[in-house]
Amino acid sequence: MSERAGRRKSRGRDAKRAARQQAQVQTTAFIDRNIPYFDVLNEESLELIEYNADTVLEEIGIEFRDDPEALSILKDAGADVDGERVRFPRGMCRSIIQASAPSEFVQHARNPARNVIIGGKRTVLVPAYGSPFVRDLDEGRRYATLNDFQNFVKLAYMAPSMHHSGGTVCEPVDVPVNKRHLDMVYSHIKYSDKPFMGSVTHPDRAQDTVDMAKVVFGEEFIQQNTVCTSLINANSPLTFDATMLGAAKVYARNNQATVISPFILAGAMSPVTTAGTATQILAEAMAGMAFVQLVKPGAPVIFGTFASAVSMQNGAPTFGTPEPSLILYAAAALARRLGVPFRSGGGLCASKTADAQAAYESANTLQTAALAGVNFMLHTAGWLEGGLSMGYEKFVMDCDQASMIEVLLKGMDMSENGQAMDALREVGPGAHFLGSAHTQANFEDAFYRSTVADNNSFEQWSAEGELDCAQRANVLWKKALNDYQAPELDPAIDEALLDFMARRKAAFPDKDY
Amino acid sequence: MTDDANDQNEWDDDEEDVVLSELADDELVEQMHDDLYDGLKEEIIEGTEILLARGWPADKVLSEALVAGMAIVGIDFRDGILFVPEVLLAANAMKGGMAILRPLLAETGAESAGTMVIGTVKGDIHDIGKNLVAMMMEGAGLDVFDIGINNSVEEYFSALERHKPDILGMSALLTTTMPYMKVVIDAMVEQGLRDKYIVLVGGAPLNEEFGKAVGADAYCRDAAEAATTAVRLIAERRAAASG
Repeated sequence: MSERAGRRKSRGRDAKRAARQQAQVQTTAFIDRNIPYFDVLNEESLELIEYNADTVLEEIGIEFRDDPEALSILKDAGADVDGERVRFPRGMCRSIIQASAPSEFVQHARNPARNVIIGGKRTVLVPAYGSPFVRDLDEGRRYATLNDFQNFVKLAYMAPSMHHSGGTVCEPVDVPVNKRHLDMVYSHIKYSDKPFMGSVTHPDRAQDTVDMAKVVFGEEFIQQNTVCTSLINANSPLTFDATMLGAAKVYARNNQATVISPFILAGAMSPVTTAGTATQILAEAMAGMAFVQLVKPGAPVIFGTFASAVSMQNGAPTFGTPEPSLILYAAAALARRLGVPFRSGGGLCASKTADAQAAYESANTLQTAALAGVNFMLHTAGWLEGGLSMGYEKFVMDCDQASMIEVLLKGMDMSENGQAMDALREVGPGAHFLGSAHTQANFEDAFYRSTVADNNSFEQWSAEGELDCAQRANVLWKKALNDYQAPELDPAIDEALLDFMARRKAAFPDKDY
Repeated sequence: MTDDANDQNEWDDDEEDVVLSELADDELVEQMHDDLYDGLKEEIIEGTEILLARGWPADKVLSEALVAGMAIVGIDFRDGILFVPEVLLAANAMKGGMAILRPLLAETGAESAGTMVIGTVKGDIHDIGKNLVAMMMEGAGLDVFDIGINNSVEEYFSALERHKPDILGMSALLTTTMPYMKVVIDAMVEQGLRDKYIVLVGGAPLNEEFGKAVGADAYCRDAAEAATTAVRLIAERRAAASG
């Protein structure tokens, strides 16, 4: 090679600007935890709660309402059925669950790179679920529409910290109640390639979800694999209703996953103490999960917990307070002892806007959920006002927090590079590390860089318009929607889905119930 | 580590190899801006030598190839595109070019970009910010005399006497040490030295108002801002002197 041989052209400013301004890239399909769980109860206390939960199931029992088939399934399995009240001999639910419920399972996405493992040391972060309202800085609070729904599917698709597309990311109230599930499921499939949740508001709608999944994944595939995880709430205290049971049966029979979730506003729907509430949650979740295992042994079930404390002053739910955190830690430990995946947590808050209250309440619940070992973290992003409102700015802020959780749960890098002895030797006392070879090799992804936090000097922040966090987030979600590009979807599948929806919508009149 | 892999791919895709000596002047200057941006010291030295061999005067190489390139680095540092370690690399590349140009500039009697004495004030040993400022100043083409930490009035004065700089820079991290800046400036006023120098102050607990109150010419909020302010004030001062 001659001395005058060329070298590669340096790339300079344009390349760097392009690289640094690029949207964040999805690096992992889910979080693989590498730090211990945070426990608040010792062995003796956990055993006591388990004993008390069995006492609840044996002595008080659970109501399974308006579903004679469910009652007969439970009776055949050995439960004591008295009217709609079902009492379970001590240990029955636990042994049914432990005999067949998987400790972890794969939920397939239409893009296999987005498949998630739910259970074990994994954490899957999922957007908020169920809000009738949406809120943003420009238009304030208003009823959600299908357009909002699709916007949140797109935002979750583009957010690296969201591993899942979620379910009812907001309620599209502009579409008739008995048909909106079709548009919701279609939107998840069309505008995202991440895994999604199905409709649970009627057994027929659960079946429509399964049928649409068949179009995407193939009939045979979905009988062998889980492609849908859906939310089955208990009507606490101690009650399951026919709607939820009907949807649970449809999903179980199709080998699809359900989250059996006591929804507890403690003090109103459970006792005012944390131990009493944890006991009730365990009893309800075990009864529901055992029922699903009786319907279809081996169908994936997730132990769900949603606990908020009710203000004794005015009856309103509160969030980010310490008692529900204690309940969450306890429930996570109870789920691990049972050997099933656990759902809870999220960025819960009672605040109406993306303000300081929203930020600290949400940070409290997100941290608790992360440290507790939640496997399926519903409501991670967007939640406002106790779930009544889905916030655009809040979504962006929560996604930022969620990305930090991923770094935290990964734990400490103890490799040779992580130990950084080279850097310590190179720099020595009194100098700085900013220019050391180790820093040059590692700086770019050494520390988490927030998407919404402003860390500039007062003067620069001031010169840039003194934007607060929500105002900066407002810019970011608009940019994300503007930059959004839909993942590819096989046109034949798209056409088949649209055809399925058209036929189903024509099959019965619009109804708002 | 995936970033490295991506870099590699981009390098592979980029088939444009370049031989600096075969570039036309304007292309070479543009390439040197990119090389500075990417912190390539050897390439900056080579580019500087080529331009000099083609008969460019040293002050033209300095202003058009190096200082103009570092100005881009400063802007992108301010905008959050470039990170601190990258700016350090760029400044280091710049120093490579400056080492060649400095004796030539002295020989030809060309006016230098400017000189600066910088140090942290008495009682303050926090110097990382001061070091970054010094580095950015060098990046802007200034000759910087860094007198380190914990400087008394006497130490500042003896450095001013020795180096006769355009600028005196003082830095402090502590609210308890920053008032010493006023002690230094008051002493300068007393001895009739104040107007001979541009005085820049900086450090986390300072602000614009504090800078004015102690009698500095400017408060600089960060290293990039300090360099731009220095260049601007030197230019203004020289224009005033010649006008």
